[in-house]
Amino acid sequence: MQFPLSISDISLWIAVVTIILLVTSELISPYSEYFGDFVIDKARLRLLALILGAVFMVTVLLRVIASPLI
Amino acid sequence: MTLPKSKENSKKKGKTSKETELTEVQFLVEDLQLLQSENEVLRQELLRYRRLPSSKIGFTLIIVGALVLVASFVATSTVLAFIGLGLTFWGALFLFAKPIKFVRSTLLDSTALSSYTTIDKIMDDLNYKGKPTYIPPYPQEAYLPEYLKGLKEMIVFISAKDITTMPTLEEMAKRQFLVKNPKGMCITPPGFALVSIFEKELGADFTKIDLDGLYKSLSTVIVNNLELASSFEIDAEKELIHVKITESAYKDLYSIEYKLKSVHSVGCPLTSAVACALAKTTGKLVTIAKSHVSPDLKTIEAWYQTVEG
Repeated sequence: MQFPLSISDISLWIAVVTIILLVTSELISPYSEYFGDFVIDKARLRLLALILGAVFMVTVLLRVIASPLI
Repeated sequence: MTLPKSKENSKKKGKTSKETELTEVQFLVEDLQLLQSENEVLRQELLRYRRLPSSKIGFTLIIVGALVLVASFVATSTVLAFIGLGLTFWGALFLFAKPIKFVRSTLLDSTALSSYTTIDKIMDDLNYKGKPTYIPPYPQEAYLPEYLKGLKEMIVFISAKDITTMPTLEEMAKRQFLVKNPKGMCITPPGFALVSIFEKELGADFTKIDLDGLYKSLSTVIVNNLELASSFEIDAEKELIHVKITESAYKDLYSIEYKLKSVHSVGCPLTSAVACALAKTTGKLVTIAKSHVSPDLKTIEAWYQTVEG
């Protein structure tokens, strides 16, 4: 029994999610009527996207450090 | 012989008209209080209604996601692990970014509308013609004797006559609705609560910053922090301070459909909040000299005048 995802898998997943969140936070309108019934705190969404972006960079750094030097 | 009788009659008439005026005012004040409490109840209900679905969705997604993640451990499945991670993440996102502070912008107008209608009615019935004047409050930490503590609250004075004379400090400190000398009324500014939010959001006290600092702070808090308007410009023009607001959240209050007079004189909650902030920072009396709204309601312009108290 072990976790099936490696660091590179998680890194890729984080990258994809970050892009989705960043694009959403930029396109989303502060006025709820343009987004139907679903209202979301835009500032927090952007903050989360930026944090995930930073996490992605950390995973990349980890992989660079872990890879053998040529 | 007839003269004294006619005098008595006119005295009686004067008395009865004063009494009816007072009872009318009492009724209107009661109406105003009732409407405000109703508004508050409705706002709370709406918040509760809005908060429930996103919380439920968030918790459901987190639970399902966690179960799938555990299953991925057991089955050592990459697909299940991705699904689990995704579900857990979106569940957490729903909880983190749920709309606690957001209500539909149309609701802002409907909650404020009744208050403005009542102010209009009171001003019409009492035939008050004076220009509303924002009176700056004393700083919260300033020492004042007990009987003057009411001066720490922001008020708007509406004079009965066109020529504005300010009431005495003692008169204002009583926190009465109707002021006798000079005749007029004192109300809480519609933007008073907004200014408190501005200060809380910025972590600043408007009585302790200069005008340049206030101009920058207002622009930041209105456009970026609270998103009450898409743009906010403020600049000093000779004796007046000019403010231009684009796409204000309160723009519909200026609609011809409502025919509100007080929105132009006292200001909508946003322009009133700006007046409150100016009064606090300058420590001077502030009036809205004039306001202009574009026909499509997109742009609101207001010119503020500061007067030495």
